[in-house]
Amino acid sequence: MLRFILADLRRAWPGALAIALIIAFATALGITVTLQERALRLGSARAADAFDLVIGAPASETQLVLSSVFLQPAPLPLMPGAVMGELAADPRVAWAAPIGFGDAHEGWPVVGTTGALIDGLGGIAKGQGFARLGDAVVGARVPMAPGDTFHPVHAELAAEGEVHQGTTYTVRGVLSPTGSPWDRAILVPIEAVWQSHGMEAGHDKEGDARHHEGALDADQPVNPAAVAAPNAPGVPAIVVRGHTIADAYNLRQHYRGDRSVAVFPAEVLTRLYGTLGDARSVLSAVAIAAQALVAAAVLLVALLHVTQRQRQIGALRAFGASRGVIFLIVWGEVALIAAAGVAAGIGLGWLAARLISARIEAASGVAMPVEFAASDLGLVLGLLAAAGACALIPAAIAYRQSPAAALRG
Amino acid sequence: MARLAIRNLVARFPGLDQPALDVPAFDLDAGARIALRGPSGSGKTTFLNMLTGLARVPEGHVTWDGIDLATLGEGARDRWRAANVGLVMQDFHLFPGLSALENVLLPRRLRWRGAEKGAREEALGLLRRTGVPRPDQPVETLSRGQSQRVAVARALLGRPAILVADEPTASLDAEAGAAVGALLTDLARETGATLVVATHDPELIERIGRVAHLTAGRLAA
Repeated sequence: MLRFILADLRRAWPGALAIALIIAFATALGITVTLQERALRLGSARAADAFDLVIGAPASETQLVLSSVFLQPAPLPLMPGAVMGELAADPRVAWAAPIGFGDAHEGWPVVGTTGALIDGLGGIAKGQGFARLGDAVVGARVPMAPGDTFHPVHAELAAEGEVHQGTTYTVRGVLSPTGSPWDRAILVPIEAVWQSHGMEAGHDKEGDARHHEGALDADQPVNPAAVAAPNAPGVPAIVVRGHTIADAYNLRQHYRGDRSVAVFPAEVLTRLYGTLGDARSVLSAVAIAAQALVAAAVLLVALLHVTQRQRQIGALRAFGASRGVIFLIVWGEVALIAAAGVAAGIGLGWLAARLISARIEAASGVAMPVEFAASDLGLVLGLLAAAGACALIPAAIAYRQSPAAALRG
Repeated sequence: MARLAIRNLVARFPGLDQPALDVPAFDLDAGARIALRGPSGSGKTTFLNMLTGLARVPEGHVTWDGIDLATLGEGARDRWRAANVGLVMQDFHLFPGLSALENVLLPRRLRWRGAEKGAREEALGLLRRTGVPRPDQPVETLSRGQSQRVAVARALLGRPAILVADEPTASLDAEAGAAVGALLTDLARETGATLVVATHDPELIERIGRVAHLTAGRLAA
């Protein structure tokens, strides 16, 4: 029986292949939506994992997380420099590091920070950390090696090409890969950012990016105490890790006020996922509609096919094949094509999600884990069951065909 | 051995006053041979459908060896036909994509229990006997005469007691038609099958020896 089905498929392979491909594309659509949404969710959650808490000036919490976790360039208001000093002295804090944005080099964001962040992100893979103000550490995806030098450009003005001519950094080390956007970052001492932007301690110009150009003394040693000084310049964000989860909760409570706001990246992401989830349900609905359309089209083709082959089906009956066997042959043939289509669609969907994820990964640095979950089994079984159910209709029509009527045809 | 007795067989088509088929009584001894003649529309196909259980017997009795097809349901008729009837049709109904041997075996293999042991050897023997030189040849590449030989071999697999052919030589040239006609009659004699052939082929009619005329649904021997 199987041999007969296979011989029939071999004979009609172009049509069978076309139908299997249409089913595969419809399946792939649904699989890709599911996998890609999951990859975005897991990827962003893992990217945010390094930081318990992000503290910034009272403004958009979402923007604070997007800027600090995903390095999305945006003007953030500055916090008083004293906050960093308080955090550095706080016994609940395991480590805290200021981050100052604003510069870039060939599209790679240059971020001012301290050695604490380097350790917090997983440490140096190659070379060494900051010793002098002119030192830089690059993320794993930045195409620079220890010994390379560069002049950062002020990000907002990058299009106009304003280079900090007086500022030269030398790459000293490369970060271990983190699978987060920080793999695309160039880290420099935050004191160097202050110096090159003319924001020395005590001359803090709150929130204004229009600063006068300063020169960087690249050989001046890094002074870890400078960032914790009470009169330190303001910073847009501080990332913090507490000793325990309870500490992190206490810190979040403590630093929410009129001076600063503290958020768990996770809480902001959860809100974003809510939006993402809505988009996913819309896309899933579109995918299901596409699958239903394809099912209808395939059903139509199957019905035409069965009607066209009345005589052949009648002949099988005339030669002694029972109605049950005919039913099984037609059902098996349609179900086999559909199952092959669904199987190919799973692979195709996975491949599409991988390709999309690779592009997002290259652009954002966020590692996108494309993986199947147990719940996908339900989706696949559902599709197979629907295909099997659809195949019943042409099979039933073949079953009801009289062998005599078929031969007269 | 199969003996046929038809009593009061009447078949009508909707919308027609005259019955398509009206056979008060018709008998055939086991192993008998008969050619069935009649213009198209005379009810030949309907008659063959009744004989072979392809269609339900609407009125009357078609009894083969005591089994009245009128009393059998569709599934039971399928089973009875599979066990007792070999069919040869005008346009062969071979299934492309399969070899000659696979075509002969197909009706057996499409049973729930599959083909019995020895069916393959029997099929090979029948293909030899019907003069098909290469059993593994795909049927699409066979000539019409060869195709009908394969169809005859298929009809004879399992030594059915009844052999029914519908215009078996009509789509063949004279030479191939004569060969197939000879095969049918010879093999029916060798196996003792009751042979019923609807045909217009005078040579085949002569070979069969006995002819019944079907006109407007009425049978005259």
